[in-house]
Amino acid sequence: MWHITKREIYDNLNSLRFALTTVLLLALMLTNAVVHLREHPKRVQKYSDAVARYENRLAAYANESLYLLAQQGPGDLHKKPSPLRFCAEGGDSFLSGTINAGDPFVYAEDMTGVWKLSYPSMTPNLENVRPDVIKVDWGFIIGYVLSLVAFLFTFDIIASERERGTLRLMLANSIPRYTVLIGKFLGALISVSIPFTLSILMNLLVISTASNLHLNAEAWERLGVIFFIAILYMSLFLALGVLVSARVRQSAVSLVVLLLVWVTLVIFMPNTLASMTGEFSPSMLSGEFWKRYRQFHQELDEKYGDRVWSDKSDTKTLTARSEYFAEHAALDERLNEDRLSLQIDQFQHARFITRVSPVTIVQHLLESFAGTGFERHLQFVENTQRYARQFREFVVDTDREDPKSLHLIGIREGMSLKPVSPEAVPKFKDTLSLSKDFNTRAMELLLLTLFVMVLLSGAYLAFVRVEV
Amino acid sequence: MMLTLIRRELLDNLMTFRFAVAVFIMLLLVVANTAVLIKDYERRLAGHKTEVQKSREYMLEGKTYSVAELNIDRPPNPLSIFNTGLDKRLGNEIWVYYGHVPTLWDAEKHSSQNPFMNILSSIDIVFIFEGVLSLLALIFAYDTLAGEYERGTLRLVLTHSVSRGHILLAKYISAMVCLLVPLLMSLILAMFLLTTSPSFSLSTPDFLRIGGIMVASIAYLSAFYLIGMLISAMTRRTSTALMLSMFVWGFLVLVYPNMIVAVIQPSNPPEERRASVHNHIKQIWEEFERERKHFLATDTHLEGDPYGNMRWRGGYNFEHFQDKASVLQYYYYAGAEIDGFHEEPESEALHVQNYHRFLVPLIIDTAEHTWRVRKPVLEELFILPATVDRSWLRLTPTGIYDIATQALAGTDLNGMQDFFTAVQQHRQSVIDYYYDKNAFASRQWFSSDKEVVDWSALPQFSFQRSDISINVKRALPDLFLLLTINIVLFIGIFLIFVRREV
Repeated sequence: MWHITKREIYDNLNSLRFALTTVLLLALMLTNAVVHLREHPKRVQKYSDAVARYENRLAAYANESLYLLAQQGPGDLHKKPSPLRFCAEGGDSFLSGTINAGDPFVYAEDMTGVWKLSYPSMTPNLENVRPDVIKVDWGFIIGYVLSLVAFLFTFDIIASERERGTLRLMLANSIPRYTVLIGKFLGALISVSIPFTLSILMNLLVISTASNLHLNAEAWERLGVIFFIAILYMSLFLALGVLVSARVRQSAVSLVVLLLVWVTLVIFMPNTLASMTGEFSPSMLSGEFWKRYRQFHQELDEKYGDRVWSDKSDTKTLTARSEYFAEHAALDERLNEDRLSLQIDQFQHARFITRVSPVTIVQHLLESFAGTGFERHLQFVENTQRYARQFREFVVDTDREDPKSLHLIGIREGMSLKPVSPEAVPKFKDTLSLSKDFNTRAMELLLLTLFVMVLLSGAYLAFVRVEV
Repeated sequence: MMLTLIRRELLDNLMTFRFAVAVFIMLLLVVANTAVLIKDYERRLAGHKTEVQKSREYMLEGKTYSVAELNIDRPPNPLSIFNTGLDKRLGNEIWVYYGHVPTLWDAEKHSSQNPFMNILSSIDIVFIFEGVLSLLALIFAYDTLAGEYERGTLRLVLTHSVSRGHILLAKYISAMVCLLVPLLMSLILAMFLLTTSPSFSLSTPDFLRIGGIMVASIAYLSAFYLIGMLISAMTRRTSTALMLSMFVWGFLVLVYPNMIVAVIQPSNPPEERRASVHNHIKQIWEEFERERKHFLATDTHLEGDPYGNMRWRGGYNFEHFQDKASVLQYYYYAGAEIDGFHEEPESEALHVQNYHRFLVPLIIDTAEHTWRVRKPVLEELFILPATVDRSWLRLTPTGIYDIATQALAGTDLNGMQDFFTAVQQHRQSVIDYYYDKNAFASRQWFSSDKEVVDWSALPQFSFQRSDISINVKRALPDLFLLLTINIVLFIGIFLIFVRREV
């Protein structure tokens, strides 16, 4: 078997396609690294500026009084840019990087409600009139280019030997067919892995030599997983190539079939199929949303009536007002959350069905291991929600410690007006955990492995029955 | 002889497996995507109609001139099905305010759609052609010459008294005829779906535009076929030709367009320029603010606050500076809607009217001044990099084809700019209407106690997509470029083939 593998590798190493693949992958990976080195420091700078602004704002309010903190809230919460964004861009330009936790409703000049979480409904990319292109990230290089290369290395792996008649020669020896198949498969795997690994090493070399970028141990771990996924994905396409090559008599026909498969799997399925299935669970339209918004607010106003707005400052009025503020903010937050979850459902639904295409699986996997994309965005949303609860609890707890306070949150007369130490205020930290990613992604990894197994056994069956 | 050659080639090509595959895959992709795109267009059109209705209601709700909410919604372009271009991406809701010249960069997006769905890139018909047609053309072309050479039939053919040019021409014509079958079939099916859909009302110029897109597609197809033929003429073995063709395809279609846009970067640092111009515009408005303050100070009745001396019975007023540095948006925004007054402040009202008679023309002048500063910088900051990108993209046939079809469909930057130019003209006509009615100096400018504004006489906004001749004019340079590529490639193939030993 090793003999076959070795022969296969030597054949490939001398071929034109090997040289072209090496050049192509190296060029792509270098581009990727250079662009990342140029863009990433800017992103990090922007993020740290934003965090500094957030902390200053929080400290300013904390130094003023607890009441102001309870009213104004923590402000804009920012998504931490992933250091591995060069692996998968993951539609990050469409996903908003901030969620606002502040912006209290102003009823009148001296009457302000309390803060709430609100999710921006649109992402601003309206200024950009540059042409639309796919980002050159690892997701693109692996998903599109590597799969094509895998097909180009395997379309003739069996068909051409049969055409030339050398297959008959080989099988005349006492080698079992599966050995031939596995030997050839391994040969192709290694020959494609060589330029791929080379280009990835180049890419990481360029990225890690830059002084302003630090990849920690966890990032390297993730990169290792990504490399493993790429190899798995590549073997999937190689297996498919071997399968088709074993079934078809001419190598030209085999290539045509493979290109057809490639176009369907890589270009057609991920987008068109997703758009089609997205139809089945439409999200809330903005007209409907505003209708609900108005209706609920009317109900809330009817429930509390005018007593909230009376000039009296007895405990009853203040309590009612505090409750009204809290309920108003909670209502806004809930409506926003409902809409968001409907939108997320629609999008998840749309993405779910595209898992039949390995390209989508691999892109989801890359996104989650690189810490970008939609799953990451959901984590960010969850983080902000958790933080919002924590912040509210902190305000209530701190207020409870003040004996003079009436414990009416959001009301000047009913709350502690003492300053709070800025260090004591909980800070928002955007985190992402690999273990959590792995749980959600284990299914997809298994699916990918399953695909490889099925295709390999399919290739074996096809090859065993082949007449030479 | 020529006819015999063509017939032979044609039969050779038509009976192959690859021809069946080509037809099948083109039909599948185009039909499925057209269905999705039609649905998408219908949704966008419905969203547009709701927005138009809503903005009409908002306009009618305004009781005074100064609080007028004149929103204009950009209708989706039906030809965006062929090439989406910038049609879906850019803002589609623009606000017409007399104190600010609206541009593409001031537009917002009405939020009637799920923003997450934007992550899924929609595939338009031209995109399918770009990717799949070029691939098919190369698959048809790689063995035309190398294959015959390998089999030895080329020598056989050349023993007859046929000139080599004729052989090339015969091969080219027959293969193009074969490739046109899937192209035309899929286009006709797409047209069938379009015309049966009730929401589409395509006019005669639209059909001409689609015809233009078809011509561009044929030129693109032939360019890739000739690339494949060139490779086939240069190589001696089909397998080498096939490999080379696939890599050339991967490079030209998949890699280069995405790579080049990522690599190139606008040369001058735009941030500093943006900041300095933003400051300049701010200074213009500070100057305006000084003049305003000065006017208020000189009028003893107003005492610094135009509405301060009047005792209202209800209503509201607002004034602030709108500031969005990223697109150099900076203007003074003010308005008032006062329901009535407790006492009849006739003389006070006259003073306020006088104030507006002075103020609003000043705002309009300042807005014009700002626009003169802002326009060239916007072009430098946004349009220039985009133009540079597009000229780099023109190095591949794919890029040229994309740009040409965008221009024909009217979804390119020029087509978008046409709409915003129309909005600017509309703003001008609204201002002229205000001047005609002497609206600034009227009481209805800020108060609705005597009379509510009658909005029915306001000029209506209408937008016609640019004339077909303009579209063609914009697309012609790129179409010529595609043709030139075709001719150069054909000459190249001819020269190589003529010198070749068989």
